Amino acid sequence: MPLPAKAFQRWLHGIAPDTSMADVSRLSQVKRTTLAQQLVRGKVAEATVVSISRAFNVNPVAALAYFETYRDLAEPQVPPTPQELVSQIATVDLLRAVIARSAPEAGSGADPGSGAQQAKRPELGPAPHVTSVKNWVDAIDDGELRHRVSAATGIAPQNYSAQLTANRLAPEVAIATSRAAGVGLTGGLVATGLITEAEAGWEPGARQAALDRLSDGELAVLAGDRLQAVGKTLRRQEQDQEQTEKIWENLG
Amino acid sequence: MIEILQWTTLIACGAAALSRIPNLVRKKNRSLFYILALMTVAILLSIKGPYMAIDSLLGNTNVANLLLRFIIFAAVYVLGMRIAKGFGDQPGLRLIRGRRGTLVLGLISAAMLVFFALMDSEGSSVGLVGVYAKDERNRALVEYYGAAGRAYPAYVSLAILPGLLRAVRGTLPALLRISALLLAIGGIATILSLFFPVIPAALGYLTFVINYTAILCFVVGLTLIWLAKLRAGRKVTGALSAPD
Repeated sequence: MPLPAKAFQRWLHGIAPDTSMADVSRLSQVKRTTLAQQLVRGKVAEATVVSISRAFNVNPVAALAYFETYRDLAEPQVPPTPQELVSQIATVDLLRAVIARSAPEAGSGADPGSGAQQAKRPELGPAPHVTSVKNWVDAIDDGELRHRVSAATGIAPQNYSAQLTANRLAPEVAIATSRAAGVGLTGGLVATGLITEAEAGWEPGARQAALDRLSDGELAVLAGDRLQAVGKTLRRQEQDQEQTEKIWENLG
Repeated sequence: MIEILQWTTLIACGAAALSRIPNLVRKKNRSLFYILALMTVAILLSIKGPYMAIDSLLGNTNVANLLLRFIIFAAVYVLGMRIAKGFGDQPGLRLIRGRRGTLVLGLISAAMLVFFALMDSEGSSVGLVGVYAKDERNRALVEYYGAAGRAYPAYVSLAILPGLLRAVRGTLPALLRISALLLAIGGIATILSLFFPVIPAALGYLTFVINYTAILCFVVGLTLIWLAKLRAGRKVTGALSAPD
Protein backbone atom coordinates (compact mmCIF):
# COMPACT_ATOMS: atom_id res chain seq x y z
CA MET A 1 0.00 0.00 0.00
CA PRO A 2 1.57 3.27 -1.07
CA LEU A 3 2.18 6.05 1.42
CA PRO A 4 -0.33 8.81 2.15
CA ALA A 5 0.55 12.06 0.41
CA LYS A 6 0.04 14.12 3.57
CA ALA A 7 2.55 12.12 5.57
CA PHE A 8 4.88 12.29 2.57
CA GLN A 9 4.68 16.10 2.50
CA ARG A 10 5.46 16.24 6.20
CA TRP A 11 8.40 13.90 5.74
CA LEU A 12 9.70 15.83 2.76
CA HIS A 13 9.46 19.06 4.71
CA GLY A 14 11.51 17.40 7.43
CA ILE A 15 14.41 16.41 5.19
CA ALA A 16 14.31 19.20 2.59
CA PRO A 17 12.42 22.14 4.07
CA ASP A 18 13.24 24.77 1.48
CA THR A 19 13.34 22.74 -1.69
CA SER A 20 10.79 23.15 -4.43
CA MET A 21 9.06 20.13 -5.95
CA ALA A 22 10.86 20.83 -9.20
CA ASP A 23 14.22 20.61 -7.42
CA VAL A 24 13.16 17.51 -5.52
CA SER A 25 12.31 15.75 -8.73
CA ARG A 26 15.47 16.97 -10.44
CA LEU A 27 17.73 15.84 -7.59
CA SER A 28 16.00 12.52 -7.05
CA GLN A 29 15.46 11.86 -10.76
CA VAL A 30 11.84 11.00 -10.08
CA LYS A 31 9.93 12.34 -13.08
CA ARG A 32 8.03 15.50 -12.27
CA THR A 33 4.86 14.15 -13.78
CA THR A 34 5.16 10.93 -11.80
CA LEU A 35 5.66 12.80 -8.57
CA ALA A 36 2.81 15.20 -9.29
CA GLN A 37 0.48 12.36 -10.19
CA GLN A 38 1.28 10.44 -7.03
CA LEU A 39 0.67 13.55 -4.93
CA VAL A 40 -2.65 14.28 -6.65
CA ARG A 41 -3.81 10.71 -6.14
CA GLY A 42 -2.77 10.98 -2.49
CA LYS A 43 -0.63 7.86 -2.72
CA VAL A 44 3.12 8.08 -2.97
CA ALA A 45 5.06 5.00 -4.04
CA GLU A 46 7.71 3.64 -1.69
CA ALA A 47 10.22 3.80 -4.56
CA THR A 48 9.66 7.58 -4.75
CA VAL A 49 10.51 7.99 -1.07
CA VAL A 50 13.59 5.82 -1.52
CA SER A 51 14.82 7.84 -4.51
CA ILE A 52 14.25 11.15 -2.76
CA SER A 53 15.89 10.01 0.46
CA ARG A 54 18.96 8.93 -1.51
CA ALA A 55 19.14 12.35 -3.14
CA PHE A 56 19.18 14.00 0.28
CA ASN A 57 21.59 11.50 1.85
CA VAL A 58 19.00 9.99 4.14
CA ASN A 59 19.01 6.25 4.63
CA PRO A 60 15.98 4.89 2.72
CA VAL A 61 15.13 2.45 5.50
CA ALA A 62 15.05 5.26 8.02
CA ALA A 63 12.98 7.29 5.55
CA LEU A 64 10.41 4.52 5.15
CA ALA A 65 10.30 4.07 8.92
CA TYR A 66 8.89 7.61 9.15
CA PHE A 67 5.62 6.28 7.74
CA GLU A 68 3.03 4.44 9.79
CA THR A 69 3.06 1.27 7.64
CA TYR A 70 6.80 0.89 7.99
CA ARG A 71 7.25 2.01 11.61
CA ASP A 72 8.86 -1.30 12.53
CA LEU A 73 11.80 -0.56 10.25
CA ALA A 74 12.98 1.97 12.86
CA GLU A 75 13.86 -0.80 15.28
CA PRO A 76 17.37 -2.22 15.16
CA GLN A 77 17.45 -4.65 12.30
CA VAL A 78 18.11 -8.36 12.63
CA PRO A 79 21.01 -9.24 10.30
CA PRO A 80 20.17 -11.43 7.30
CA THR A 81 20.46 -15.19 7.62
CA PRO A 82 23.15 -17.01 5.59
CA GLN A 83 20.35 -18.51 3.45
CA GLU A 84 18.99 -15.05 2.67
CA LEU A 85 22.47 -13.84 1.72
CA VAL A 86 23.07 -16.78 -0.59
CA SER A 87 19.61 -16.36 -2.13
CA GLN A 88 20.68 -12.94 -3.37
CA ILE A 89 23.57 -14.37 -5.37
CA ALA A 90 22.73 -14.73 -9.05
CA THR A 91 22.50 -18.27 -10.43
CA VAL A 92 25.38 -17.62 -12.81
CA ASP A 93 27.58 -16.52 -9.89
CA LEU A 94 26.69 -19.71 -7.99
CA LEU A 95 27.63 -21.79 -11.00
CA ARG A 96 30.87 -19.84 -11.29
CA ALA A 97 31.58 -20.67 -7.66
CA VAL A 98 31.02 -24.37 -8.39
CA ILE A 99 33.52 -24.20 -11.22
CA ALA A 100 36.01 -22.16 -9.22
CA ARG A 101 35.92 -24.70 -6.40
CA SER A 102 36.54 -27.61 -8.71
CA ALA A 103 39.37 -25.84 -10.53
CA PRO A 104 42.83 -27.28 -9.73
CA GLU A 105 44.16 -24.30 -7.75
CA ALA A 106 41.20 -24.48 -5.36
CA GLY A 107 41.66 -28.24 -5.02
CA SER A 108 45.37 -27.94 -4.17
CA GLY A 109 44.55 -27.03 -0.60
CA ALA A 110 44.65 -23.25 -0.90
CA ASP A 111 42.58 -21.46 1.70
CA PRO A 112 39.51 -20.10 -0.09
CA GLY A 113 39.64 -16.96 2.05
CA SER A 114 43.27 -16.14 1.33
CA GLY A 115 44.21 -12.83 -0.23
CA ALA A 116 45.47 -14.27 -3.50
CA GLN A 117 42.25 -16.20 -3.98
CA GLN A 118 40.17 -13.13 -3.18
CA ALA A 119 41.91 -11.04 -5.80
CA LYS A 120 41.38 -13.61 -8.53
CA ARG A 121 37.78 -14.30 -7.68
CA PRO A 122 35.25 -12.49 -9.88
CA GLU A 123 32.98 -10.05 -8.07
CA LEU A 124 29.45 -11.21 -7.33
CA GLY A 125 26.83 -9.37 -9.34
CA PRO A 126 24.88 -6.93 -7.19
CA ALA A 127 21.54 -7.95 -5.62
CA PRO A 128 18.85 -8.25 -6.85
CA HIS A 129 19.15 -10.74 -9.69
CA VAL A 130 16.56 -12.05 -12.15
CA THR A 131 14.97 -14.56 -9.76
CA SER A 132 15.94 -12.96 -6.47
CA VAL A 133 12.42 -12.55 -5.09
CA LYS A 134 11.44 -16.17 -5.50
CA ASN A 135 14.85 -17.37 -4.30
CA TRP A 136 14.59 -15.16 -1.24
CA VAL A 137 11.18 -16.53 -0.27
CA ASP A 138 12.35 -20.08 -0.91
CA ALA A 139 15.37 -19.40 1.33
CA ILE A 140 13.23 -18.37 4.32
CA ASP A 141 10.29 -20.72 3.67
CA ASP A 142 9.73 -23.43 6.27
CA GLY A 143 6.99 -24.98 4.16
CA GLU A 144 4.11 -23.02 5.68
CA LEU A 145 5.32 -19.50 4.97
CA ARG A 146 3.08 -18.85 1.96
CA HIS A 147 -0.01 -19.80 3.98
CA ARG A 148 0.97 -17.53 6.84
CA VAL A 149 1.67 -14.60 4.51
CA SER A 150 -1.62 -15.22 2.77
CA ALA A 151 -3.45 -15.24 6.11
CA ALA A 152 -1.65 -12.12 7.33
CA THR A 153 -2.06 -10.02 4.19
CA GLY A 154 -5.22 -11.45 2.64
CA ILE A 155 -3.43 -12.07 -0.66
CA ALA A 156 -4.57 -15.26 -2.39
CA PRO A 157 -1.75 -17.85 -2.51
CA GLN A 158 -1.87 -18.09 -6.30
CA ASN A 159 -1.52 -14.30 -6.64
CA TYR A 160 1.40 -14.37 -4.24
CA SER A 161 3.07 -17.13 -6.25
CA ALA A 162 2.44 -15.22 -9.48
CA GLN A 163 4.19 -12.18 -7.99
CA LEU A 164 7.17 -14.28 -6.97
CA THR A 165 7.41 -15.82 -10.43
CA ALA A 166 7.32 -12.34 -11.95
CA ASN A 167 10.18 -11.39 -9.58
CA ARG A 168 7.98 -8.74 -7.93
CA LEU A 169 6.64 -8.17 -4.46
CA ALA A 170 4.96 -5.07 -3.06
CA PRO A 171 7.12 -3.62 -0.27
CA GLU A 172 4.56 -4.16 2.47
CA VAL A 173 4.03 -7.75 1.35
CA ALA A 174 7.80 -8.24 1.39
CA ILE A 175 7.86 -7.01 4.98
CA ALA A 176 4.88 -9.17 5.91
CA THR A 177 6.79 -12.12 4.45
CA SER A 178 9.87 -11.32 6.55
CA ARG A 179 7.71 -11.01 9.62
CA ALA A 180 5.93 -14.31 8.95
CA ALA A 181 9.29 -16.02 8.50
CA GLY A 182 10.78 -14.41 11.59
CA VAL A 183 13.76 -12.89 9.77
CA GLY A 184 15.05 -9.31 9.46
CA LEU A 185 12.50 -6.98 7.87
CA THR A 186 14.68 -5.54 5.13
CA GLY A 187 15.62 -8.77 3.33
CA GLY A 188 12.63 -8.65 1.01
CA LEU A 189 13.23 -4.99 0.23
CA VAL A 190 16.72 -5.91 -0.97
CA ALA A 191 15.42 -8.89 -2.94
CA THR A 192 12.86 -6.69 -4.70
CA GLY A 193 15.51 -4.10 -5.44
CA LEU A 194 13.79 -1.31 -3.51
CA ILE A 195 16.91 -0.76 -1.41
CA THR A 196 20.51 -1.89 -1.78
CA GLU A 197 22.34 -4.35 0.45
CA ALA A 198 24.37 -1.54 1.95
CA GLU A 199 21.25 0.48 2.74
CA ALA A 200 19.78 -2.55 4.47
CA GLY A 201 22.90 -2.68 6.63
CA TRP A 202 24.31 -5.86 5.12
CA GLU A 203 28.08 -6.09 5.62
CA PRO A 204 30.07 -5.60 2.41
CA GLY A 205 31.11 -9.04 1.26
CA ALA A 206 28.48 -10.71 3.44
CA ARG A 207 27.06 -12.61 0.49
CA GLN A 208 30.50 -13.77 -0.59
CA ALA A 209 31.25 -14.88 2.96
CA ALA A 210 27.98 -16.82 3.17
CA LEU A 211 28.81 -18.43 -0.16
CA ASP A 212 32.26 -19.40 1.07
CA ARG A 213 30.75 -21.01 4.17
CA LEU A 214 28.62 -23.36 2.05
CA SER A 215 30.05 -26.88 1.92
CA ASP A 216 30.74 -28.27 -1.53
CA GLY A 217 27.69 -30.49 -1.21
CA GLU A 218 25.39 -27.64 -0.19
CA LEU A 219 26.67 -25.47 -3.02
CA ALA A 220 26.28 -28.25 -5.56
CA VAL A 221 22.69 -28.97 -4.51
CA LEU A 222 21.77 -25.28 -4.42
CA ALA A 223 23.35 -24.58 -7.81
CA GLY A 224 21.65 -27.68 -9.19
CA ASP A 225 18.23 -26.53 -7.95
CA ARG A 226 18.75 -23.09 -9.40
CA LEU A 227 19.93 -24.47 -12.72
CA GLN A 228 16.90 -26.71 -12.88
CA ALA A 229 14.60 -23.75 -12.25
CA VAL A 230 16.39 -21.77 -14.97
CA GLY A 231 16.03 -24.72 -17.31
CA LYS A 232 12.30 -24.90 -16.65
CA THR A 233 11.84 -21.20 -17.28
CA LEU A 234 13.88 -21.32 -20.47
CA ARG A 235 12.01 -24.38 -21.67
CA ARG A 236 8.68 -22.66 -21.09
CA GLN A 237 9.87 -19.55 -22.89
CA GLU A 238 11.03 -21.65 -25.81
CA GLN A 239 7.72 -23.47 -25.98
CA ASP A 240 5.85 -20.19 -25.89
CA GLN A 241 8.11 -18.86 -28.60
CA GLU A 242 7.47 -21.92 -30.75
CA GLN A 243 3.75 -21.60 -30.21
CA THR A 244 3.86 -17.89 -31.00
CA GLU A 245 5.71 -18.51 -34.23
CA LYS A 246 3.22 -21.18 -35.20
CA ILE A 247 0.35 -18.75 -34.64
CA TRP A 248 2.08 -16.14 -36.76
CA GLU A 249 2.90 -18.63 -39.42
CA ASN A 250 -0.76 -19.61 -39.73
CA LEU A 251 -2.61 -16.46 -38.79
CA GLY A 252 -0.15 -13.57 -39.05
CA MET B 1 -29.17 0.68 -34.92
CA ILE B 2 -28.86 -2.70 -36.62
CA GLU B 3 -27.97 -0.94 -39.86
CA ILE B 4 -25.09 0.81 -38.10
CA LEU B 5 -23.86 -2.51 -36.71
CA GLN B 6 -24.04 -4.11 -40.14
CA TRP B 7 -22.21 -1.35 -41.96
CA THR B 8 -19.59 -1.02 -39.21
CA THR B 9 -18.90 -4.73 -39.44
CA LEU B 10 -18.73 -4.53 -43.22
CA ILE B 11 -16.26 -1.65 -43.10
CA ALA B 12 -14.12 -3.31 -40.42
CA CYS B 13 -14.04 -6.57 -42.31
CA GLY B 14 -13.44 -4.92 -45.68
CA ALA B 15 -10.63 -2.80 -44.25
CA ALA B 16 -9.03 -5.89 -42.72
CA ALA B 17 -9.26 -7.67 -46.07
CA LEU B 18 -7.77 -4.69 -47.93
CA SER B 19 -4.92 -4.46 -45.44
CA ARG B 20 -3.99 -8.02 -46.33
CA ILE B 21 -3.50 -7.21 -50.00
CA PRO B 22 0.26 -6.51 -49.68
CA ASN B 23 0.66 -9.95 -48.11
CA LEU B 24 -1.52 -11.45 -50.82
CA VAL B 25 0.83 -10.04 -53.45
CA ARG B 26 3.84 -11.32 -51.51
CA LYS B 27 2.13 -14.72 -51.24
CA LYS B 28 2.33 -14.71 -47.46
CA ASN B 29 -0.55 -16.43 -45.68
CA ARG B 30 -2.92 -15.79 -48.54
CA SER B 31 -5.70 -17.80 -46.96
CA LEU B 32 -6.15 -15.00 -44.44
CA PHE B 33 -7.02 -12.61 -47.23
CA TYR B 34 -9.47 -15.12 -48.64
CA ILE B 35 -11.12 -15.61 -45.24
CA LEU B 36 -11.55 -11.87 -44.78
CA ALA B 37 -12.68 -11.33 -48.37
CA LEU B 38 -15.26 -14.13 -48.06
CA MET B 39 -16.48 -12.69 -44.77
CA THR B 40 -16.79 -9.25 -46.37
CA VAL B 41 -18.90 -10.66 -49.20
CA ALA B 42 -20.98 -12.59 -46.67
CA ILE B 43 -21.72 -9.43 -44.71
CA LEU B 44 -22.52 -7.57 -47.90
CA LEU B 45 -25.00 -10.30 -48.79
CA SER B 46 -26.68 -10.09 -45.42
CA ILE B 47 -27.46 -6.38 -45.79
CA LYS B 48 -30.72 -5.60 -47.51
CA GLY B 49 -29.66 -3.24 -50.33
CA PRO B 50 -26.71 -5.22 -51.67
CA TYR B 51 -28.63 -8.47 -51.25
CA MET B 52 -31.56 -7.29 -53.37
CA ALA B 53 -29.21 -6.00 -56.05
CA ILE B 54 -27.17 -9.19 -56.26
CA ASP B 55 -30.17 -11.51 -56.04
CA SER B 56 -31.94 -9.68 -58.87
CA LEU B 57 -28.88 -10.43 -61.02
CA LEU B 58 -29.22 -14.09 -60.06
CA GLY B 59 -32.91 -14.26 -61.02
CA ASN B 60 -34.82 -13.15 -57.95
CA THR B 61 -35.04 -16.64 -56.50
CA ASN B 62 -32.96 -16.06 -53.38
CA VAL B 63 -30.05 -18.05 -54.74
CA ALA B 64 -27.97 -15.27 -53.23
CA ASN B 65 -29.00 -16.57 -49.81
CA LEU B 66 -27.77 -20.03 -50.69
CA LEU B 67 -24.57 -18.48 -51.98
CA LEU B 68 -24.22 -16.58 -48.72
CA ARG B 69 -24.49 -19.80 -46.72
CA PHE B 70 -21.80 -21.54 -48.72
CA ILE B 71 -19.52 -18.52 -48.58
CA ILE B 72 -19.87 -18.62 -44.80
CA PHE B 73 -19.11 -22.35 -44.79
CA ALA B 74 -15.98 -21.83 -46.87
CA ALA B 75 -14.77 -18.95 -44.69
CA VAL B 76 -15.48 -20.88 -41.49
CA TYR B 77 -13.76 -24.02 -42.77
CA VAL B 78 -10.54 -22.22 -43.69
CA LEU B 79 -10.61 -20.02 -40.61
CA GLY B 80 -11.22 -22.94 -38.27
CA MET B 81 -8.42 -24.91 -39.83
CA ARG B 82 -5.98 -22.00 -39.64
CA ILE B 83 -6.85 -21.30 -36.01
CA ALA B 84 -6.54 -24.96 -35.00
CA LYS B 85 -3.19 -25.19 -36.79
CA GLY B 86 -1.90 -21.93 -35.37
CA PHE B 87 -2.81 -22.76 -31.81
CA GLY B 88 -1.40 -26.27 -32.16
CA ASP B 89 -4.78 -27.87 -31.51
CA GLN B 90 -4.50 -31.28 -33.18
CA PRO B 91 -7.83 -32.70 -31.96
CA GLY B 92 -9.59 -29.56 -33.18
CA LEU B 93 -7.87 -29.81 -36.54
CA ARG B 94 -8.94 -33.45 -36.89
CA LEU B 95 -12.54 -32.53 -36.04
CA ILE B 96 -12.58 -29.98 -38.86
CA ARG B 97 -10.48 -31.64 -41.54
CA GLY B 98 -10.79 -35.32 -40.64
CA ARG B 99 -13.39 -37.77 -41.86
CA ARG B 100 -15.92 -36.64 -39.29
CA GLY B 101 -15.53 -33.00 -40.32
CA THR B 102 -16.02 -33.80 -44.00
CA LEU B 103 -19.06 -35.92 -43.16
CA VAL B 104 -20.63 -33.16 -41.08
CA LEU B 105 -19.97 -30.59 -43.80
CA GLY B 106 -21.37 -32.89 -46.49
CA LEU B 107 -24.52 -33.81 -44.59
CA ILE B 108 -25.29 -30.24 -43.59
CA SER B 109 -24.67 -28.94 -47.12
CA ALA B 110 -26.91 -31.64 -48.61
CA ALA B 111 -29.67 -30.93 -46.11
CA MET B 112 -29.44 -27.22 -46.84
CA LEU B 113 -29.67 -27.77 -50.59
CA VAL B 114 -32.67 -30.07 -50.15
CA PHE B 115 -34.53 -27.61 -47.93
CA PHE B 116 -33.76 -24.81 -50.37
CA ALA B 117 -34.98 -26.87 -53.34
CA LEU B 118 -38.19 -27.78 -51.54
CA MET B 119 -39.15 -24.23 -50.60
CA ASP B 120 -40.85 -21.82 -52.93
CA SER B 121 -37.95 -19.39 -53.06
CA GLU B 122 -39.46 -17.01 -55.62
CA GLY B 123 -39.16 -13.30 -54.74
CA SER B 124 -35.97 -11.76 -53.35
CA SER B 125 -36.07 -11.02 -49.66
CA VAL B 126 -33.13 -10.67 -47.34
CA GLY B 127 -33.06 -13.38 -44.67
CA LEU B 128 -35.83 -15.20 -46.63
CA VAL B 129 -38.41 -13.20 -44.66
CA GLY B 130 -40.71 -13.16 -47.69
CA VAL B 131 -40.51 -16.91 -48.15
CA TYR B 132 -41.02 -17.44 -44.43
CA ALA B 133 -44.25 -15.45 -44.57
CA LYS B 134 -45.73 -17.42 -47.48
CA ASP B 135 -47.30 -20.39 -45.70
CA GLU B 136 -46.85 -23.02 -43.00
CA ARG B 137 -44.78 -25.36 -45.18
CA ASN B 138 -42.36 -22.70 -46.36
CA ARG B 139 -42.06 -21.37 -42.84
CA ALA B 140 -40.92 -24.76 -41.56
CA LEU B 141 -38.53 -25.20 -44.50
CA VAL B 142 -36.95 -21.80 -43.90
CA GLU B 143 -36.51 -22.71 -40.22
CA TYR B 144 -34.76 -25.98 -41.08
CA TYR B 145 -32.71 -24.31 -43.77
CA GLY B 146 -31.57 -21.62 -41.36
CA ALA B 147 -30.76 -24.18 -38.66
CA ALA B 148 -28.62 -26.15 -41.12
CA GLY B 149 -26.84 -22.97 -42.14
CA ARG B 150 -25.96 -22.19 -38.53
CA ALA B 151 -25.02 -25.77 -37.64
CA TYR B 152 -21.74 -25.98 -39.53
CA PRO B 153 -20.20 -22.73 -38.19
CA ALA B 154 -21.28 -23.85 -34.71
CA TYR B 155 -19.64 -27.24 -35.23
CA VAL B 156 -16.34 -25.66 -36.27
CA SER B 157 -16.50 -23.18 -33.39
CA LEU B 158 -17.05 -25.99 -30.94
CA ALA B 159 -14.05 -27.81 -32.39
CA ILE B 160 -11.62 -24.91 -31.95
CA LEU B 161 -12.98 -23.56 -28.65
CA PRO B 162 -11.01 -25.83 -26.25
CA GLY B 163 -7.70 -24.98 -27.94
CA LEU B 164 -8.46 -21.26 -27.83
CA LEU B 165 -9.45 -21.33 -24.16
CA ARG B 166 -6.24 -23.19 -23.38
CA ALA B 167 -4.27 -20.43 -25.09
CA VAL B 168 -6.17 -17.76 -23.15
CA ARG B 169 -5.17 -19.34 -19.85
CA GLY B 170 -1.60 -20.10 -20.97
CA THR B 171 1.61 -18.10 -20.80
CA LEU B 172 1.68 -16.67 -24.31
CA PRO B 173 2.35 -12.94 -24.88
CA ALA B 174 -0.56 -10.77 -23.71
CA LEU B 175 -1.58 -9.61 -27.16
CA LEU B 176 -1.90 -13.18 -28.41
CA ARG B 177 -3.92 -14.19 -25.37
CA ILE B 178 -6.29 -11.28 -25.98
CA SER B 179 -6.58 -12.41 -29.60
CA ALA B 180 -7.33 -15.95 -28.46
CA LEU B 181 -9.98 -14.56 -26.12
CA LEU B 182 -11.61 -12.56 -28.91
CA LEU B 183 -11.60 -15.58 -31.22
CA ALA B 184 -13.09 -17.66 -28.40
CA ILE B 185 -15.86 -15.08 -27.84
CA GLY B 186 -16.54 -15.17 -31.58
CA GLY B 187 -16.74 -18.94 -31.36
CA ILE B 188 -19.11 -18.86 -28.40
CA ALA B 189 -21.35 -16.34 -30.18
CA THR B 190 -21.41 -18.63 -33.21
CA ILE B 191 -22.40 -21.58 -31.05
CA LEU B 192 -25.10 -19.45 -29.40
CA SER B 193 -26.58 -18.82 -32.85
CA LEU B 194 -27.87 -22.40 -32.69
CA PHE B 195 -30.42 -21.17 -30.18
CA PHE B 196 -31.93 -18.54 -32.46
CA PRO B 197 -35.20 -20.50 -32.93
CA VAL B 198 -35.96 -20.28 -29.20
CA ILE B 199 -35.33 -16.53 -28.97
CA PRO B 200 -38.72 -14.81 -28.66
CA ALA B 201 -39.67 -12.47 -31.50
CA ALA B 202 -39.52 -9.44 -29.20
CA LEU B 203 -35.82 -10.08 -28.66
CA GLY B 204 -35.20 -10.57 -32.38
CA TYR B 205 -32.48 -7.92 -32.40
CA LEU B 206 -30.39 -10.31 -30.30
CA THR B 207 -29.80 -12.49 -33.35
CA PHE B 208 -28.18 -9.56 -35.11
CA VAL B 209 -26.11 -8.66 -32.06
CA ILE B 210 -24.87 -12.23 -31.70
CA ASN B 211 -24.06 -12.62 -35.41
CA TYR B 212 -22.16 -9.39 -35.73
CA THR B 213 -20.41 -9.83 -32.39
CA ALA B 214 -19.08 -13.11 -33.72
CA ILE B 215 -17.82 -11.57 -36.95
CA LEU B 216 -16.32 -8.51 -35.25
CA CYS B 217 -14.55 -10.65 -32.65
CA PHE B 218 -13.06 -12.88 -35.33
CA VAL B 219 -11.91 -9.94 -37.43
CA VAL B 220 -10.43 -7.97 -34.53
CA GLY B 221 -8.83 -11.11 -33.11
CA LEU B 222 -7.14 -11.89 -36.43
CA THR B 223 -6.02 -8.30 -36.85
CA LEU B 224 -4.50 -8.27 -33.36
CA ILE B 225 -2.46 -11.39 -34.11
CA TRP B 226 -1.17 -9.70 -37.20
CA LEU B 227 -0.35 -6.52 -35.26
CA ALA B 228 1.43 -8.57 -32.61
CA LYS B 229 3.54 -10.09 -35.34
CA LEU B 230 4.38 -6.71 -36.83
CA ARG B 231 5.21 -5.29 -33.43
CA ALA B 232 7.35 -8.15 -32.24
CA GLY B 233 10.98 -7.25 -32.11
CA ARG B 234 12.94 -10.41 -31.44
CA LYS B 235 13.63 -9.93 -27.78
CA VAL B 236 15.57 -12.72 -26.22
CA THR B 237 15.20 -12.94 -22.47
CA GLY B 238 18.32 -14.67 -21.33
CA ALA B 239 17.76 -16.14 -17.89
CA LEU B 240 21.25 -17.58 -18.13
CA SER B 241 22.97 -14.31 -18.88
CA ALA B 242 24.28 -12.14 -16.10
CA PRO B 243 21.95 -9.32 -14.95
CA ASP B 244 24.23 -6.51 -16.11
